[in-house]
Parts: sequence; structure tokens; C-alpha cells
Amino acid sequence: MLEIKNITVKTTDDNKLILDKFSLTIPKGEIHVIMGPNGVGKSTLSKVIMGNYKYKVTKGDILFKKKSILDKSTEERAKLGLFVTMQDPMAIDGVKLSEFLKTALREKEGDVNLYDFINSLDDAAHDLKMDPSMLHRSLNKSFSGGERKKSEVLQLKVLKPEFIILDELDSGLDIDSLKLVCKNINDYLKENSDTAVLIITHYPRILEYIKPDRVHILLDGQIKKSGDRKLAEEIESSGYLSINEVEEAKNYE
Amino acid sequence: MNRILIDKDQFIALKKDSELTIKNDSVLTLVIEENIDLVFNIEKVKTDIYVYAVDKSLSVTINANKEKSICNFYYSNINYDDNKYQINVYHKAPKSEVNLYNHGVNVENNKLLYDVTSKVPKDNKECITNQDNRIINIKDGKSTIRPILLIDNYDISSSHSAYIGKFDDDVMFYLTSRGISVSKAYELLLKGFLVHADPEGITEFMDELSKI
Repeated sequence: MLEIKNITVKTTDDNKLILDKFSLTIPKGEIHVIMGPNGVGKSTLSKVIMGNYKYKVTKGDILFKKKSILDKSTEERAKLGLFVTMQDPMAIDGVKLSEFLKTALREKEGDVNLYDFINSLDDAAHDLKMDPSMLHRSLNKSFSGGERKKSEVLQLKVLKPEFIILDELDSGLDIDSLKLVCKNINDYLKENSDTAVLIITHYPRILEYIKPDRVHILLDGQIKKSGDRKLAEEIESSGYLSINEVEEAKNYE
Repeated sequence: MNRILIDKDQFIALKKDSELTIKNDSVLTLVIEENIDLVFNIEKVKTDIYVYAVDKSLSVTINANKEKSICNFYYSNINYDDNKYQINVYHKAPKSEVNLYNHGVNVENNKLLYDVTSKVPKDNKECITNQDNRIINIKDGKSTIRPILLIDNYDISSSHSAYIGKFDDDVMFYLTSRGISVSKAYELLLKGFLVHADPEGITEFMDELSKI
């Protein structure tokens, strides 16, 4: 579904190299994880996939359903079915969550049946144990960290994307909220079995609740190692340093 | 000068200089149709005042006359030509509260000045006086905000903010990442920025908003 082919990514402002010869393929219906320590470009990757203005792809290509999306705007990529739950979702004063979602849905599907929309919004809020009054408050304004993450998942449930990036979903969530949010995502994936997911995380905790097919370790702008779920367990016990040491030993040989 | 007594929720379109005395808790919506001067006398009440103007200069005086009077004042304007908005708040009683939310959009390359002054004299303790002043420049207009707090008392709660610029690029990224077009994103942001209450009754202002 998503193929990232040997991309080099630099910052638009000062040409700083962020990702170098980075490749990753995620077939439909699969859940992949990118793990890595702070500052290796994990969150940047989610922004690059969504076409954020702060980054430019200088080499390589990104294909979604076999078509390049590099010349597509952020809006067009979202309409194709890409969605990212942001690590730190923005608060937007004066724009109500319900109105924002209604606008997004109208842009995607044309006419929106107001009755169906309100029902789907209420159902999603109920499933996520969100206070319904939050739907009519300014988007993310005065929301706690956990409420912001629930708001992101609520948007996902209403907009129904085909490819989901979960960027540090577990940050700001207590254990009960994390379980609830992950249950909602798993339920969504059951109903939409072709949907592919890319989880970006520091810690393997979230992988107890959303089971990945593949785990990739990102270091120095490149994937250094890939494996199954056991790789995440190795990282939990040995840390990222062990990956570096293995790679350095290989290079030395 | 018009003299108007407000004792319930009202919607008024104003063409002439006016003095409005607010006697009861109320929500007041005003549409400004000419360049005029307005004086508000806030008696012992809580009032929300929404003022909408398109391409007008306006001078406002708010007198918080009675102890514990509360006024939330929302000014929203859209500008195509050079305009000036001057507002003076006088806390004439202790424990009076006035919160200003002055939001403007400068559409063309024109000049827009916000001159915003809040005064608390020495005698009046425990007043609350806040200013939130923001101007969005759609093009390269020359906007100026002068937030002035003249406070002669230590026992006062006060804050002010002033922002002149464009909508944040990160906000635009967030909205477009949900499939919202840039023009629709602007529409949402402008409405959120300028319309603080139910837009019913301000259809001309809403029409003007949709043209930006």
C-alpha cells in the first residue's frame, strides 16, 4: 500500500539532512512499527509522508497504492486516505471539533447527511469515553494531553482513512486511556481489514495492545534492523545501543 | 448622541454616535454601519457585548460604573481601507471586570490601528482588566496595536496580548492533513477568529467574511 523508495529528506530552511536512503514498504492490512531513540527522524517521517512544508524529499519516491504522492499537497494526500494522529495535536481557538470534522468530511465525500454525521460523532465519542461537550469546544483547546490523543482517534474513526500513522500515540496517555484508545483502533482495523498502520514510538508498551507484523529500528536516518515482534522485546531489554554495536561490528568486519 | 437603555438581550444596527447604558444582565449584539463613537455605561450587571464592523473606524469608551460589574467585550472587524479603532476602558468602581477581545482582519495592503487603553485608578481595588488584541494580515497590510494598561493600584489582576501576523503554518498543516482545502481552512479559521457567538442576525458580516 505504501512504498517509500530510497528517499533522502532535508529540511526546507537550512538543508539539514534528516533521512538518508530510507526505504520502507507496508502492504495493505499490515501493521509496521518504527522504533528509535529521540531525534533520529521518526516523527519527521510521518510529516514527510503527509507532505509537511518544513521538509523536502531530494531523492527517491513515495508511492501510495502504486502512485507517487510527492507532487501531491497535504490536502490531496489526506483525501487519498492517508491520516496521521499527531504527536502533539494543535489547539485551534474558535474552531469547534464538530465543525472541523464536518468540514473535513464534506471536503472528502461531498454532501454529508447531518443526522448520520451526528450519530457517528456521538458513537465515536461514546466509544472513547469522551465528554460529549468536547465536540462543541474549540479544537484541542484546554484539552488534556490524553483528551487530545482521544480527539485524534475520534477524527480517525469518523474520517475512515486507509493508511494510518500513529505518531507517539502513547505519550500523554495513562494506562487505562491507552488501552481504550488501542481497543478503538483494533476495532477499526477489524472493520477495515485492508487498512495499513505505521506506528512510531520510543517504547514498546503500545505494542502490547496493538500487535505489529514488522518492527523496524531507525537510527541515524536509516533503518538499521527489521524483525518481528521479538525485536521490540530485545529493544526493551537491551536498548537501542545494542543495535548500534552490532552494526558497528559488522562494518568493522 | 443617541441614548439607549439596555435591559434585555438586544440586536442593534448603529449609524450614529450612541451612549448605551446597560441596566440588566444581557447579551448585546451591535452592527456598526458608519464611523461612530460609542459609550457604554456598565451598571451592576454582567454583560457580553459583540460588535461587528466592516471597513469602519470606531471609537469606544467603556465605563465600568458599579462594583462587581462584568463586561466581556468582543470586537470583530474586517478591513479593506485604512481604519482606526480606539477603545478606552475606565474602571470607575472596585471589583469591576472588563475583558476585551479585539480581533481584526486586514484584507488588503492598508493600515489598521488598534489603540487599546485600560485605566484603573488608585481608589479601585480588586479590579480585573484584560486585553486580547489580534490582527490577521491576509496580504501585506501595515497593522499596529498599541496595548496600554494604566494601573495605579497593586491589587489588580491584569493581562494583555497583542499579535499581528498571518495564521500559523502549523495550524494550516493540521487542518489540511485532514483533507480540508487551504481556502476552506482559511474560512474555518476566519470564522473562529471573528465570530464569537451564534452568527444568527449578522448575515451581512458573515457574507463579507465568506468573500475574504
